[in-house]
Amino acid sequence: MVPFISSPNGFSPSRNNQYIMSKIIAQKLNQEDGITLSEFLESGHSHTASPFLTLDSRKWAKNLSLKVSIFSLSLLILAITFSFFERWAPISSLLQVVIFFLAGTPALIEAIEKLKSFKVDIHVLMVLAAFLSLFIHSSLEGALLLVLFSISHSMEHFVSHKAKSTLNRLSKMAPSTAQVINASGKMIERSVKDVQVNELIWVRAGEVLPLDGKVIEGTSSLDVSHLTGEHAPISISEGIDAPAGALNIEGSLKLIVTRTGSHSTISRIIDLICEANKTKPKLQSWFDRFGQKYSLFVIASSFFFALFLPVLIPSLTYFGSEGSVYRALAYLIAASPCALIIAVPIAYISAINSSAKLGIILKGGITLDTLAKVSSVAFDKTGTLTSGELECLAIKDLQGNPVSDLDRILAIAKGLEQHALHPVAQAIIHYADYRGISAGSVSDCKAIPGLGIQGLARYDQQTLKVAIGSLSYIASLTEGDSKVTLEAYDNEPGHLMAALKIENEIYTFQFVDHLRPDAQKVLKLLKEELGLKTYILSGDNDLSVQRIAKNLNVDQYFGQLKPEDKLRLIEKYSAQENLAMVGDGINDTPALARAAVGISLGNIGSHMGTEISDVVLIKNDLSLVYKLFLKARKTLKIVKQNVVLAGLIIVVISIPALFGWIPLWLAVVFHEGGTVLVGLNSLRLLKND
Amino acid sequence: MHTPETDHFEGNNPHEHVLKKKEEMANEIHGDELPGHLGAFLDSTRDTSILFLIFWTVCSQLGFSFAQLNFALLMLGAGWLVWKGAKSTWLANTKLERLHRILKEERFEIENHRPQEREELEALYAAKGFKGALLEEVLDVLMADDDRLLKVMIEEEMGLNLENCEHPLKVGSGAALGVLLAVMLLFVTTWLSPKFGLATLAVLMIGTSGMYIAKLQKNESIPAFVWNLGFAILTYGTVYFLTQWFLSFTQ
Repeated sequence: MVPFISSPNGFSPSRNNQYIMSKIIAQKLNQEDGITLSEFLESGHSHTASPFLTLDSRKWAKNLSLKVSIFSLSLLILAITFSFFERWAPISSLLQVVIFFLAGTPALIEAIEKLKSFKVDIHVLMVLAAFLSLFIHSSLEGALLLVLFSISHSMEHFVSHKAKSTLNRLSKMAPSTAQVINASGKMIERSVKDVQVNELIWVRAGEVLPLDGKVIEGTSSLDVSHLTGEHAPISISEGIDAPAGALNIEGSLKLIVTRTGSHSTISRIIDLICEANKTKPKLQSWFDRFGQKYSLFVIASSFFFALFLPVLIPSLTYFGSEGSVYRALAYLIAASPCALIIAVPIAYISAINSSAKLGIILKGGITLDTLAKVSSVAFDKTGTLTSGELECLAIKDLQGNPVSDLDRILAIAKGLEQHALHPVAQAIIHYADYRGISAGSVSDCKAIPGLGIQGLARYDQQTLKVAIGSLSYIASLTEGDSKVTLEAYDNEPGHLMAALKIENEIYTFQFVDHLRPDAQKVLKLLKEELGLKTYILSGDNDLSVQRIAKNLNVDQYFGQLKPEDKLRLIEKYSAQENLAMVGDGINDTPALARAAVGISLGNIGSHMGTEISDVVLIKNDLSLVYKLFLKARKTLKIVKQNVVLAGLIIVVISIPALFGWIPLWLAVVFHEGGTVLVGLNSLRLLKND
Repeated sequence: MHTPETDHFEGNNPHEHVLKKKEEMANEIHGDELPGHLGAFLDSTRDTSILFLIFWTVCSQLGFSFAQLNFALLMLGAGWLVWKGAKSTWLANTKLERLHRILKEERFEIENHRPQEREELEALYAAKGFKGALLEEVLDVLMADDDRLLKVMIEEEMGLNLENCEHPLKVGSGAALGVLLAVMLLFVTTWLSPKFGLATLAVLMIGTSGMYIAKLQKNESIPAFVWNLGFAILTYGTVYFLTQWFLSFTQ
């Protein structure tokens, strides 16, 4: 494990040292000197990370291609200036040789590598045009083309470097070793790759958790700001799950490993970002295929015009500034789809990575496309619009009177609910814990999904037939007046309720479900600013859903939905309106999968959730939903702007270049200027509003 | 049968595999200049080509006649052959002499300063992750045999490898042969095409030598070829245009 802080004197940071800890995280994330060998290998052997170079000389490699491009540009300005004076013409030529060497050599290598694998793309086109210019005595134009091409290439490099930096920052936070406690209680340092589930690990204060685990000894606070963006530290004690990548602020922790290194929280976030950068949207995939064929067409047509223009127009010569070769070269440059090719990927990569910084992990550019077309959004209620934590307000008998044997009722209810994960179950367990009541002995438990649980309870040497669940479920197990009363309660407005049946006795539990503080604001923005229709789809009772829906002013709501009902509705609205579904729990997984876009909220810990959803919001913050839609629409807008601009430049300058109305240098300026403009327009997406 | 284990060891047993890797790495460590006669040969070819290219460019522009140019190139070639051969031999000999001295000094240290050597060894193996009783055991084993200890110190402490150098005369011969071949080829092409022959062949030989050196070092050959070609053209362009510029002041 890589300790952030040397603690030779047994220094144990206290809560007051959280500020220092956050500083340590920032330092760790931004440090460049502590580059590991694997980071260097993953960086594609970048000289900025070479472990064989001294720290000082690594700085020479930083943004080298951009520095070279700018230096070449200044040489080009000098070369153009000197070209006007006869005596200085040799110096102008010398400077052009230097420019061809600096900007042309890397481009030529890349072009040869592409040709070697039978790929003809814009790179090959540009290099061909630049070097062909030497043969028609237009080396200055060739140099101009190489310099501008090198600048636009540096810009592309800058964006992909930004994309990688998000991953590098996360990778830096993932320790490669763990202190494992072996069978004899001895601590040994092992690679996280070799640590298996159920092994015990030890994490000291100031160290980063190397693997996901459950605390079995010790209490502390964890800083997860770099994982989720959540700045408040999480308190942690026995029985609580802790994610890999979190910084242990205070005391030492003994954990039992719950996931191996390759499946840990931090690995999953890194995998998701990698996947997002690899998955291409439809438009980009189309451009990739189109680019190859189009480049071949441009080369072939340029050669055709160079050879046959003098045949078609007898007054035209082959060489000279009015010749067919000159015009074909200007056409080759003007018709090259450089701007068109970079118009799409830079925009998507910028959007995906700036979203990742906010804690929005997208499964690729294709998700942004679909999101931009979404016209309605459905929310699960519990845990998504509400905080998900219910509070048990009261326990009453069927007549609405307070109960006298509360301890017995709570013990049986806790005994049943400890097998369930639903927030109602958690609220009952918390209430019993609060009153210091232990779980009663319950056997033969049978869960009825979406409805409740039944079983046999042993209490006071009696075996009792018990069941807990929704009012409608308990009503279905009851007959006579009790059934009528339960059904009446079920139709009454009010708080969320559950019922407990002990033989023939019925008790009701009343809960309150708190709205998230920002829910109202977010839904208002989605409706009013983005014009989206809003829905609530919930398994809870109608009246409880109605109360929340009215509070949030949603367009339509559906309560008491069984999982299959939810799926049916999602299918219907996805087909009609391109519906996006926002959910949090495991029970939402089928709905998230079926929606046009599934958005999983604060659910990075769930394997199913992250695999099924199209978007994972790793920070449990509802406002990210609004930011996500905003980013998707902005991305599509910028992509459209770029494509139109790039297409226009090709159409407007390629034909006049062929007719000799646009000189070679102007074709170069238009073509490369357009490429730079499109790139800069895409870079706007790196900014998070 | 191929299993992941046999594939990993490339058909050797683990011990043979480690020895082979060490030998390969020894070449890598000293690899900025390719060691031995082959490296000297390729390096000399490249140096000769660039020297001839510069000399020919300047002489051509200064108005040397064809015969004068050839005579000057011949003399340059003869002198350069002797110098390169002698220099390579001397450098290889100096390196060997330095290695022998280091070995002698280390032997002295082992015989006279054993506690310090043990401390050095301890630091070396502690850095490799050995600690406690296991580290002590390793140190005891290594300190038991002076010859083995000397070998360990030479390889581990100094990063040097035994049986890795070629005889200085073999290295020098490689360098001389490189010069001879380059000079002969450049002469032939000058006779065949007085205007472009030497420049074209020199540039190509520089690119090709660079590519072969990269191949021998298991680096990528296409970038090496293009970069070396670029260096040659840049050098040629610099000399050519600067000469033109300076000469323009004399006209």
